[in-house]
Amino acid sequence: MGDAGFTTYLVDDDPAVLRSITRLLKAGGYKTKSFSSPQKFLSAHDPSVPGCAIIDLVMSELDGLRLQEALAQSGSKRPIIFLTGRGDVSTSVKAMKAGAVDFLTKPVKRDALFSAVGHAAELDAALRQKRRESQSIDDRLAALTHREREVLEHVIAGRLNKQIAASLGTVEKTIKVHRGRMMAKLRVRSVADLVRLADRAGILPVRGDL
Amino acid sequence: MDQIATDLSLRSLQERSVRPGGTHTIRNVVIVAVAYYLGAEIAFLIGTLSDRIFAPFWPPNIVLFCALLLSPPRQWWIYIAAAFPAHTIAELGVGMPMPQLLVAFVTNCMVAIVNAFGVQRLMVEPPWFGTISKTIIYVLITAFLSPAFCALGGAFVQILGGGSIDDFGLFWARWYASNALGSLTLGPIAMICLESTTRPRLAPAGRAVEAAIVAAFLIAACIIAFEDLPSIASGYLPLLLYLPLPIIVWAAVRFGAKGASGAIFVISLVLIWRTLNGLSLFDIGSPETNVFGMQLFLIGLSPPILLLGSAIDETRRAERTTRESEERISFAAASSNVGLWQYEIATGTFWATDYCWTLFGLSRSEPLDLDRLVSRIHPNDAPIAGAALRSAVLRATPRDAEFRVQDSGEIRWISVRARPVAGRAGKPAAIAGAFSDVTARKLAEAEADVQRQEIAHLMRVSMLGELSGGLAHELTQPLTAILSNAQAGKMLLAKGSRALSEIGNILDDIIAEDERAGEVIHRLHGMLKKGEVKHEPIDMNELIASTLQLLHSELIDRRMSVSFDNAAGLPATRGDPVQLQQTLLNLLMNAMDATENVPPARRTISITTATADDGGVEVRIYDCGTGLPPSREREVFQPFFTTKKRGLGLGLSICTSIIKLHGGTLSLQNNVREGASAVFRLPPPLD
Repeated sequence: MGDAGFTTYLVDDDPAVLRSITRLLKAGGYKTKSFSSPQKFLSAHDPSVPGCAIIDLVMSELDGLRLQEALAQSGSKRPIIFLTGRGDVSTSVKAMKAGAVDFLTKPVKRDALFSAVGHAAELDAALRQKRRESQSIDDRLAALTHREREVLEHVIAGRLNKQIAASLGTVEKTIKVHRGRMMAKLRVRSVADLVRLADRAGILPVRGDL
Repeated sequence: MDQIATDLSLRSLQERSVRPGGTHTIRNVVIVAVAYYLGAEIAFLIGTLSDRIFAPFWPPNIVLFCALLLSPPRQWWIYIAAAFPAHTIAELGVGMPMPQLLVAFVTNCMVAIVNAFGVQRLMVEPPWFGTISKTIIYVLITAFLSPAFCALGGAFVQILGGGSIDDFGLFWARWYASNALGSLTLGPIAMICLESTTRPRLAPAGRAVEAAIVAAFLIAACIIAFEDLPSIASGYLPLLLYLPLPIIVWAAVRFGAKGASGAIFVISLVLIWRTLNGLSLFDIGSPETNVFGMQLFLIGLSPPILLLGSAIDETRRAERTTRESEERISFAAASSNVGLWQYEIATGTFWATDYCWTLFGLSRSEPLDLDRLVSRIHPNDAPIAGAALRSAVLRATPRDAEFRVQDSGEIRWISVRARPVAGRAGKPAAIAGAFSDVTARKLAEAEADVQRQEIAHLMRVSMLGELSGGLAHELTQPLTAILSNAQAGKMLLAKGSRALSEIGNILDDIIAEDERAGEVIHRLHGMLKKGEVKHEPIDMNELIASTLQLLHSELIDRRMSVSFDNAAGLPATRGDPVQLQQTLLNLLMNAMDATENVPPARRTISITTATADDGGVEVRIYDCGTGLPPSREREVFQPFFTTKKRGLGLGLSICTSIIKLHGGTLSLQNNVREGASAVFRLPPPLD
C-alpha cells in the first residue's frame, strides 16, 4: 500500500502499545518507525522522507499537542494522526485546528487506523506533488533574465508586443525575441499555459496603462 | 436516718416550747407539776408502807431533770416555777417546815439543773445511751459529780430538820446516794421512754412478748437471789447473787440500752418491794441502814449494766450503718451496671454484690467462684479473656480485661478491674474489684466502627471517581495493545504468513497485557469493595509503588513528576492494605491538589520511606505546593475542614482514623522552603 518510501512514524510512551500498533501497521504493509519518546522522534526526524506521524496524545515527557507544535515549527508539514485514551472534545478540536489528519480513540480499530493512515498518505503525496511542481516552476522562473521577466509580467496582463515595446522603450522586434526565449525557458507553448503557470507561481500581471 | 428524725423531733419539741404561751408548753408545765407532785407522793407512800425502809430515791428530781433536759435553757424557769407549788404542796402535806422545804427545793433544783446542763452540753442529743462514751459521761455527771456536789447543800435539809451538824458527812452521803440512785435507776428508763415517745415505734409482738418473758425471769431471779435465806450456807451466797446476771445480759443483748435500763428498774423495784415485806437481803437493821445498803448495791450494779446495753446498741448501730452503706453502694453500683467483688486470698472465697451474679447470668443460689465465672465467658473470648480474668482476680494485674458472656441468647460485654487490698506486711490480703457491664459502650463502638468503615468506603469511591479519567486510561492502554496485537496476528494469518515466532510473540504480549488490565481491575475492585478489615503483613514500598501505578495516568495528566526514594530493608508492617492504600492515595491527591498552581516544570512530589526509631515504618510525602493555611495546621484534621473548592473535608480525618487504628500517627506540617509534607508512622508488628 502507498508509496514506495512512505513511512509511518509511531510515537507512544507505553512500550506495549507501541509494539502492538507497530505490528499492526507492519502487517498492513506499512514501513514503520516507532519511538518510545517524543524527544527521540524529534531528534531523528527527517522531513524529506514521505510519511505520516501517529502520536499518542497523553505522554509524560511532552504531550501530543506540543509535539505537533514543535514539528510545525521545524517546518515539517507531515500529516499527524492522534491517538488518545479518551474522547476529549476540546483537545480534539485543538488538534484538528492545528492540522491533524485524524483523532482516533484507543483502543483503535484496524480499519479506522488504516483508513486514517491511507488518508494521511494521500495527503502527504499531494503535498509532496504540489511541492515538487512549485519547485520546478521556481527553477524555470529562476532561469529568466530580468528583461524576460518584465516581458512575462506584461504578457500575462494581456498586452500586445507593440504596447510592451512602448512601455519598455524598445522596438517590437526585440520584444518578440525576448518573448520567444521566455516561452521556451518556461516550457510553455501558449499564452493560456503561461497565465496558468504564472498564477501557480504567484506572479502578478503588470498594472496600469503605461 | 435515725439521727435526722431525732434532730427533727428535738427541734420541733424545742420550737414548740419557744412560745411560752403555747398550748404545748402549758400542757407540759401541767404534766411536770403533776408528775413532780405524784413522784413526791410515791416516795412518801413507800415510807409509810413499812417501818423497814423508805424510798431509796426521790422521783421528783428525775421528773424535773427530764423536763429541763427536753427544753431549752431559757425556758427552764417556767418548769422550775411549775415545780415549786407541787413541791410546796407535797412537803407541806407531810408537815415539813418552810425553811427546810425551801432548802430542799433549791438543792433539788440545783441537782436537776446541773444534770440537765451537763447532759445537754456533753451528750448533745438522743439516743442518750447510744454509745459507751455517752453512757460514761452520763454516769459520771449524774451519778457522781453532780449529786456529790449538790449533796453539800442537800445535807442541810436534815440538819434543818433537827439533825446534828456533826453528822454532816452522813447526811451528805445519804443525800448523795438517793440522788445518784435516782439518776441510775429512774433516769435512764425515763429518758429512753421519752426518747421513744418523740419518735413512736411500734415494737413487733414477738419483741413485746420476749420483753415480758425477760422481765418475768428477772423478777423471779431477783426474788430468789435477794431473798434472805438463812438456810443457805454463806459460802453459796455470791453464787446466788449472780443468778440475775444471765438474765440482765439477755435483756442487754436483746434490747440494748433499753433492756439494760429496764433491767435496772425492775431489779430496783423488786428489791424495794421485797425489802418492804421484810424478805430481802437488805433487811438488816434500821430503815436508814437497810436503804443505804440497798442504795450502794444498786449504785454499784447499775453502771456496768448500762454500759453493756450501750455497747450492744453501739455495735448494733455500727453494724446497721455498715449494712446500709453497703446496700447503698451495691445499689449505686448496680444502677450504674457495676458489680462489686472482693476475693480473699487466704480462703479463696468471694464476696460480691448481687449484680455480679446477674452480670454473669448465674443463679444467686450458687456460690461464686473463679471457675464458675470463667466458665461463663463466651467461647471465642475464653482462651485469652479467661486467663486475663484469672490474673485480674488472683493477682490484680492492672490490665483491664474485657470479654463477652452469653446469657440465654443475650451477649453481654463485661469489663473487669481489680486492685489489691493491702494486708499485713505489705502483702495483699485480698483483691477487690468491679465487673461492669460495658455492652452499651461496645455496641456504640461497633456501630461507630461500621460507620467509620462506611465513610472510609464512600471516600474511596469518591476518590476513585475523581481519578476515573486516569483509571480509564490505565485500562485503555492494555486494551489497545491487546486489540492491535490481535488484529495484527489475524492479518498475518490471513496472509498465510509462516512467521510462527512472531505470532507467538503477539500472543505473549496479549497475555501480558491482559494480565496488566486484570491487575488494574483487581486494584480498583480492592478499593471499591466493602471488605472486612484485614490484618496482614505489608511491604510498604510495594504498596506505595502499586499506589503510584494506580495514579500513573492522573499524574501524567496533571503534569506531575514523582520521585520515590524507597529505603532498602524496610521492615514489614501489619495492617489492612486497602485502608493504607486509601491513606496513601488521599495524601498523594492532596499533594497534587496543593501543587495545582505551580508551573508544570516544578510540580514535583517526593516520597521517602524509612525505618522509624522504634523499628516501625515511616512514610513522608513532600510536595512543593501552597502549603497549609498558616496557623491552621491543627484544623486540617477536623472533619469537614477543607481548603479545596470541591472538597468534603473528610479525607484527612479519615486518614487519621485509619492510621490510628493501625496504632500509628499521622502529622502534617509546612516545609521550610515551600509546600507541605505529610508524615505517617506505623508501629512494628507485635510479634
